[in-house]
Amino acid sequence: MSQLTVTPVVVITLTATFLLLALDRSGELGRRQPPYAPPARPAAMAPAPAVVDSEKGKPPPHNDTLEDLPEGKGREVTFYACTACHGVALIKAQGLTRDLWDSTFDLMLEKHRMPPVEAAERAEILDYLSEQFPPRRRGRGGDNPFLK
Amino acid sequence: MQSAGTSDTSRRSVLMGVGIATVGAALPPAGAALAQGTQAAKGPKLLEMEGKARLAVLGDRPLVAETQAELMDDDVTPTDKLFVRNNGQVPELTSDPKAWKIKVDGEVNTPIEIALGELMSRFPNVTYQLMLECGGNGRSFFTPEARGNQWTNGGAGCPQWTGVRLADVLKAAGLKSSAVYTGHYGTDPTLAGETSKPTLSRGMPIAKAMEEHTLIAFRINGKDLPLIHGAPVRLVVPGWAGSLSTKWLSRIWVRDKEHDGPGMGGFSYRTPRKPIVPGSKGDEKDMAILESMPVRSVITFPADGTRLAAGTRKLDLRGHAWAGDWDIKTVDVSIDYGVTWKSTKVNPPANKFAWQRFAGSVDLPSSGYYEVWAKATDSNGVTQPFAAANWNPQGYGANPLNRIRILVES
Repeated sequence: MSQLTVTPVVVITLTATFLLLALDRSGELGRRQPPYAPPARPAAMAPAPAVVDSEKGKPPPHNDTLEDLPEGKGREVTFYACTACHGVALIKAQGLTRDLWDSTFDLMLEKHRMPPVEAAERAEILDYLSEQFPPRRRGRGGDNPFLK
Repeated sequence: MQSAGTSDTSRRSVLMGVGIATVGAALPPAGAALAQGTQAAKGPKLLEMEGKARLAVLGDRPLVAETQAELMDDDVTPTDKLFVRNNGQVPELTSDPKAWKIKVDGEVNTPIEIALGELMSRFPNVTYQLMLECGGNGRSFFTPEARGNQWTNGGAGCPQWTGVRLADVLKAAGLKSSAVYTGHYGTDPTLAGETSKPTLSRGMPIAKAMEEHTLIAFRINGKDLPLIHGAPVRLVVPGWAGSLSTKWLSRIWVRDKEHDGPGMGGFSYRTPRKPIVPGSKGDEKDMAILESMPVRSVITFPADGTRLAAGTRKLDLRGHAWAGDWDIKTVDVSIDYGVTWKSTKVNPPANKFAWQRFAGSVDLPSSGYYEVWAKATDSNGVTQPFAAANWNPQGYGANPLNRIRILVES
């Protein structure tokens, strides 16, 4: 008999507790606490500098994928060689002859400290870039009679 | 603020009225550079970043974003509308800006290492409205494409900067007679994440460094610099390529020869001494450093692609014009592809190296499609070409006259 009366009380109490905890966690019970901030570093010799969010004021994140480049032979090797440093958007904005893609490659190696690339790989990348991103602007200059 | 003290008589409007029969032939076909510039059909990706307006993103790694012409309409560029150009990653925001160290060494009698807080209190603080412009501004107007970020005219802005004169700091360090050039260093890591080597390190002749408007700046439009614009301190070298205006400034190395850091030499920030075939590789030996930026005008109102109500016969327009080291003398507008020109009113700059407002109107004889062209002429009489001239592999110095397209409804 005593068990029969105690059990519903326990069940109700536990249910109410879990419900309150759940509501509290989900923020339904109102925001009583400020958002979590990491504790300030303990002061040693000098007063500790204010904690700075390392992402504060930085550019939004970027997430290029292989599929952001058009399909074609050499896409993968190009993607990984180029996007180790810069975004796909920069590649896609270009429209260059193979000659200029070739000198762009030199620019990356010589001025932007791109790691060395084997000759065969370089050729594959250059084939891909000059096939996919050739000069697109036509008219005066685009079909210059003096251009090889 | 100081007045530029330039000749006012030269500002008198002059109706050019020059008929140039071959204009059409001198321009790339409609829809080439112009459509590329505005991307009216698809529209550029827009920047979504706290503290920044929805600028047109040219690249996200490194972050590069330009200001659309219609967002360049403010007299003083608000900080959120200033273009963004990075060459590497963005360093972390310092927690103690006043303790940030700046070193001045090399060809000086007394090398200096000074904390920003001390710099601010030791040297006179000055405020000017100064042009900041990317060296590659206008690159997208080249045919064929030149290598790099495809800027239209939006790699430029004219906010108000507060700082100390670089000249005062160099004088305090005492320039040796061997001092001929500067080399600038910031703390931004390279795109690969290295901090041991500079991402970019450009420099300028001592005369430009000693120019009174060349600043070590710590405030923009009265507020501390945001991180993306170089917090806590940067150089502002107005009128010359923006790459000289090093963000997150840590060191100025005074050199006894032309600086040779990354961004100097080769085809970087250089234009041909003798014209080269557009689209060709060119020869490094024929290139010379781009110093003053060229004359440029941008119509900031109305926007490209504006539809006007049926019956509209007059269009008020306005914009900004600037010319690197020089002032703007005239800005003329045309609605007939440059056959006839009409002058606009050009205001004096707030101070030397500030852009100048032009405003005027054009009469529209009928309904239909018009291109409105603007062409600025600087105080040397140098004007904007009809098409981007002096093609070079990395695309500097493209400043063709500005064009917007409008439609008067029937």
